Amino acid sequence: MHSKSNGYQRSAWAFMGPGVALVLLAMYIPVVYTMYLSLTDYNGLDTPQFVGLQNYVTMFSDPSFLMSLLNTAIWVVGTLIVPVGVGLLVAYLSFGLKWASLFRIPFLIPYALSGVAIGVVFNFILQNGGALSQAMAFFHLPGADTHWLEVAPLNTIVMILASSWQGIGVNALLFIVGLQSIPKEPLEAARIDGANGLRLFTTMIWPLLRPSTTIVVGLSIVNSLKTFDIVETMTQGGPNRISETLGVTMYSDTFQNSQYGLGAAVAIFLTIVTVAASVLYLRRQLAIGDSSGSGKVAEA
Amino acid sequence: MTSRIVRYAVLGVLGVLWLLPIYLLLANASKSNADFSGSQLWTTGNVVALWNNIVDVFTTTGISNGFGVSAVYAVIAPIIAVVLGACVGFAVIVLKLKHGFTWFFLVFCGTVFPIQMMVIPWFSFSADTGLYDTIVGMIIIYSIVALPFSAFVMRNFFIGISETVFEAAVVDGASVWRIFSRIYLPMSTSALVVVFILQATWVWNDFLLSLILTQSTARPVMPLLNALQSTEGGGPGYTVTLTAALLVSIPTAALFLFTQRFFQKGLALGQY
Repeated sequence: MHSKSNGYQRSAWAFMGPGVALVLLAMYIPVVYTMYLSLTDYNGLDTPQFVGLQNYVTMFSDPSFLMSLLNTAIWVVGTLIVPVGVGLLVAYLSFGLKWASLFRIPFLIPYALSGVAIGVVFNFILQNGGALSQAMAFFHLPGADTHWLEVAPLNTIVMILASSWQGIGVNALLFIVGLQSIPKEPLEAARIDGANGLRLFTTMIWPLLRPSTTIVVGLSIVNSLKTFDIVETMTQGGPNRISETLGVTMYSDTFQNSQYGLGAAVAIFLTIVTVAASVLYLRRQLAIGDSSGSGKVAEA
Repeated sequence: MTSRIVRYAVLGVLGVLWLLPIYLLLANASKSNADFSGSQLWTTGNVVALWNNIVDVFTTTGISNGFGVSAVYAVIAPIIAVVLGACVGFAVIVLKLKHGFTWFFLVFCGTVFPIQMMVIPWFSFSADTGLYDTIVGMIIIYSIVALPFSAFVMRNFFIGISETVFEAAVVDGASVWRIFSRIYLPMSTSALVVVFILQATWVWNDFLLSLILTQSTARPVMPLLNALQSTEGGGPGYTVTLTAALLVSIPTAALFLFTQRFFQKGLALGQY
């Protein structure tokens, strides 16, 4: 007989094996292969030719890549300001109100929509002479003939707003979960001491919301770094590659210009940045697995 | 009291603003191409035109085939992922696999890599093996991409189940497989549902993978919808494209509204 704790090792591997094998074969090996491809000249058809760091040199001297890098940075900052900020505002304003869930519905509906559907709708709104321009002309506002999607960085900014339209509901929900877990007593005590409104928020609520903020901020950074769907649907990164993000640049380098090595180099750059940002909230995410953390999640 | 009114007012105004794009989508999906002059985008449409546009989406655009394909992906791949993920969690937590956390962490790290980091080899491999643009190939890829997150949630869920459950079942003479399938899986319905909903939504909404790995027969709705926009001249009118955007959004919107509580739980787990 095996000892109790070791008695099921063989069965355990039968359960663990398929998952580990699939992830190793279909994820880790491709990751390593992409690293190799980034050191080669490869057009997708012939044999990859080893060229050392040439693709990285090309990448960092490519104006399209540098533009894409700048746009991605704007995406990260913009996504932190708008969806995180307004998400927190919606959560804070609606928390504890009667019919709060009813008032949150408008913010939650867009969440279920795909990036592509949102791109289609906002193309319709933002095209030249589109719904936004018509509304602005109706109210005699200046700028009704602005070409929203054709000038940088305006096109990136309006696409960030389109993406914010979708993202706010999720962030609000995450902040609400955080607000629910704040103990009532210290807040009441602060209120009795005369703290209210902004002061109560900055000194008590904001510090206590920190766990939620970490998750929301971490997710926002990681997701905005990977932005692809909305940009590809709305501008295809254009005109002349001025609205590309790193995800779009990787796609067009690889699958439209058949520069697989260069695309792989962009993918690696994107991965390094994303993984670095992930560390911010990964520890927190794994900590949920602890006995203390999991109870909180179940209650929410 | 006044602060309460201000809160309702701000939420109300923001809420109306948030609904405007939805209104524009509905209003213009409900106009016939003849009524759609491009200068009256804010006027309401009518139900007859909406119906005609829906018929047009299914009869004149290539998107109709995509609905079935997307549905197959969004149902089958998450089921495979959730079962494999539960197996991983079961091995690590219940069967106490040696160095279990290390192996689990290896699987979990699959959520960290952006898809861009793996998609070139997937593209080459699927082209070489004939899996490119096949339903089977896409189901395999979606299942694998969804697996690490499933394993993560299921592991966390199994931590909360008492060890005595397993010990009692062993005393009763149940096999390990039976304990997994007849006791642990039924006990984890809520976690399984959370993972399934999140992953089904993700698969249905996926654009990047399907854009790269499919072309025609295995192409789901999102790249097809995107293609509707760029067809110039002979393509469908804007009203039909908007109707298509509306139609592809209904399954995930409905799923979301009916399962909002589950979504919230999933959110608390840290994805999306």
